Amino acid sequence: MAVLVIVEFGALWGGIMALPWDTPMGLLTGVLPGAIGGAVAGIASVFADAGAWLADLPTLLSREWIPNQGHRVPGGGWEGTFLGLEPAYAWVIRVAVVYAYAMFTFYWVWRGYMVFRRHYRYADWTPADDMIDRFRGHNWGKFGLVLVMAFVVMAMFAPTISPTTQEQNIMDPYSHNIEYYNDDAGQVMETSVGQANLLSSSKGVQRNFGLWSYDEYDRFHPTGTFTNGKDMFTLTAYGARISLFIGVFASALAGGIALSLALLTAYYKGIVDLATVVASDAFMAMPRLLVLIMLVTVLADHWVANIYSGGFIIAFLFGIWGWMGLWRAVRGPAFQIVENEWVMASKGFGERPWRIVKKHVAPYVIGYLLIYLSMSLGGYIIGAAGLAFLGLGVTAPTPEMGRLIAAGQSLVTTQSWHISIIPGLMISALVLGFNALGDGIRDAIDPKTGGDDAAGEAAAAGGGG
Amino acid sequence: MSLYQESRDGVVAEPTGEVLVEVDDLKTYYGSEGGLLGGNPVKAVDGVSFDIHRGETLGLVGESGCGKSTLGRTLMQLESATAGEVRYDGTDITTLSGKELKEWRQNVQMVFQDPDGSLNDRMTVGEIIKEPLNVHNWKTPTERRQRARELLDIVGLKEDHYYRYPFQFSGGQRQRVGIARALALEPDFLVLDEPVSALDVSVQAKILNLLNDLQEEFGLTYLIIAHDLSVVEHICDRVAVMYLGNIMELGPTDAIFDEPANPYTNSLLSAIPEPDPTLEKSRMTLRGTPPSPRDPPSGCVFSTRCPLKIRPEQYEDLDDDVWEGIEIFRAVLRDRGDLSKSVRQRLRDLLGLETRGMDIEEVLEESFGELDVPSDVQQHIDSAVEHVRRDDLQSAQEELETEFGSVCEQEVPENLPVGDTGRTSHCHRHRDEHEGTLDYIESHGYER
Repeated sequence: MAVLVIVEFGALWGGIMALPWDTPMGLLTGVLPGAIGGAVAGIASVFADAGAWLADLPTLLSREWIPNQGHRVPGGGWEGTFLGLEPAYAWVIRVAVVYAYAMFTFYWVWRGYMVFRRHYRYADWTPADDMIDRFRGHNWGKFGLVLVMAFVVMAMFAPTISPTTQEQNIMDPYSHNIEYYNDDAGQVMETSVGQANLLSSSKGVQRNFGLWSYDEYDRFHPTGTFTNGKDMFTLTAYGARISLFIGVFASALAGGIALSLALLTAYYKGIVDLATVVASDAFMAMPRLLVLIMLVTVLADHWVANIYSGGFIIAFLFGIWGWMGLWRAVRGPAFQIVENEWVMASKGFGERPWRIVKKHVAPYVIGYLLIYLSMSLGGYIIGAAGLAFLGLGVTAPTPEMGRLIAAGQSLVTTQSWHISIIPGLMISALVLGFNALGDGIRDAIDPKTGGDDAAGEAAAAGGGG
Repeated sequence: MSLYQESRDGVVAEPTGEVLVEVDDLKTYYGSEGGLLGGNPVKAVDGVSFDIHRGETLGLVGESGCGKSTLGRTLMQLESATAGEVRYDGTDITTLSGKELKEWRQNVQMVFQDPDGSLNDRMTVGEIIKEPLNVHNWKTPTERRQRARELLDIVGLKEDHYYRYPFQFSGGQRQRVGIARALALEPDFLVLDEPVSALDVSVQAKILNLLNDLQEEFGLTYLIIAHDLSVVEHICDRVAVMYLGNIMELGPTDAIFDEPANPYTNSLLSAIPEPDPTLEKSRMTLRGTPPSPRDPPSGCVFSTRCPLKIRPEQYEDLDDDVWEGIEIFRAVLRDRGDLSKSVRQRLRDLLGLETRGMDIEEVLEESFGELDVPSDVQQHIDSAVEHVRRDDLQSAQEELETEFGSVCEQEVPENLPVGDTGRTSHCHRHRDEHEGTLDYIESHGYER
């Protein structure tokens, strides 16, 4: 066990460091000065520095180790790429290494859990064991987990697995130069990325760089180029980041509100419950999509709209308008669980209400909530993409799946079909993954679907009355 | 075990006579804040007074729904009292709140009826027993763990059950866990809400013996809520018999079981089956079901079902069956005129829509049948029937009330002393001017 930890330590640390630290840190620095004012600006800058420093720490898996950006040399062959390989192969190797690392980490965590469960944990059985075992036998749920994990890895390692960098290719193409081999001139020349992008765009009949292609500047595009010549894979990888952020943040917000309200109403009942019912009805009475469109438009010039290129405000609004259904779904179970005598017993020895619901009610309600959340998470992602499709929400140049789809819409019938289809497929797969995972979790939590639970009872036989 | 004893040296297990809990005219009503549609509040506990002495076991018996669990919970301050006082060691706990209440809660713990529902299935047994200690920040975490293990041992479980889940235990074992949790804070007073009624008979005895041992060891005071009379007889020093929110009789267990004074206690004890099938016994059966606690009878709460009800003088010698017929007839009328009916019915009444559709002939047949009803009685019944035919239940009831009613329906009885064992009974018959319950039972041929 200890050996396993030591061997893995470096790799794990690499994984931790590879997290998109800049995202939360950027968010933090974005929020703090505006929200609290100049007084905290100093603290904010410290946070920003710490974030930047963390983001700059060297990581085990970095694109510099296996570079795929290079150019041909006059005599044939490549310069600047990993071992002089063709950029496509170098890129494939890098992606494969990243996923292999992710899989190994996952396996190691799983293995560690099993070892802990078998040898180190005092309790030889816990209710969670049964849930995990049921999930292990649930193929559809595991398929969902694999899809979701694949997306999480893609989002987490977006800087590493994209063939080019966001800074160079998307955000600031005219400040970066690349070298390439000019066939006509027969020599290696230099140009700005923006210039190269202009001549690498996919525009249907006139010009197209489709799946698995090189442009004239020796750059490799696994899933082709966008209408303005930017690399589709880079766009979708960073787009997955935003989509996941919106989905997870909105779900966490909506779920958090729903859970707190469910616990509050179940514990205090009466007037609190009535007030919440009225509030949820009021929220539900407003057409969500129209309100979202209105708010996004109204807040367009506000500083809030700039956080995370507008992804934050979208996620926030989805969260604020998403709790009603979730709350209704978990209110019933919460009411039921509060009636249990263990809640009364807890009151009997003077536990505080907040701790009672946290310890004795919430664990039972969260199971239900997770199921509904996994179902609605896909909805948030689709919703955000839908808004982006309409030109609202996440602002250019930050990539968003919905905007990619919208841009490629008119080119679907031409050679440049990949512009719409690739992000469309990605987002469908992501939502499908979350729904499948939700199915799996639901079946795992509900003991009626799985094998028998009597095994544990035999273990406790003997002793006592 | 030593841990427990250290702090308890010199505590005598026997009842000392020192009063620990004093309950004074306690009332717990539900739904009085119901407003427009709520109607009358449910009077779950309606003016109850008694003392619990240090070290004794007081049993609280009664039919389901008589308010005994509510009383227990009010003593624990899990329900708030509507009126009255509960003094624990001299402090009125109904006025405690916040920090004081939390401090006080260490003294009183509860063991619940249903061992399936009273233990959180997501926590290990150790966590469950430790919980009260955590809440009150008892010593260090290591000592808490140690204490939890000790408690497991005290209640007859194994220490290595610490990491098991309640799910893995039998009902009796789970109840032991519940008892261990209740003992964790070293309380003086335990409220045991039907501690064994959910268990197998063989396990019941073990748990009761455990409770007995624990009481002796730690000098605990128990309030045992039960509907099983044999449990009460087995374990209690004194018994309080409860009916519809009132304590009907309170006294030493032996006295009450040997010679019950209150008519309700008599009927309860009379309902205990005899093991001898050949024995012919004229039981004091209870008619019907208890009235709604929203609208308890005036006077004595038991007056609507009491077989020993005091009769008006002129009917003193009326045939018992005819008297019972009258009582049944009145009960039916009362039932139909019940104030605790649904909102819909009340609305219909307000709108003058008659929905009751009572067949008065059928009721008469059921009440009196073949009986030879004396003409003076018949006269009043006929008059009442007339009122009913005119849909005037109110007048019919009043008519019968004035003719056949007695002190039982007009006055709330006091708790009168019976015998010399400190027993009290809530019945008019203990007054000198009325025939005592025992004499009445004998003279009317009932057997207990």
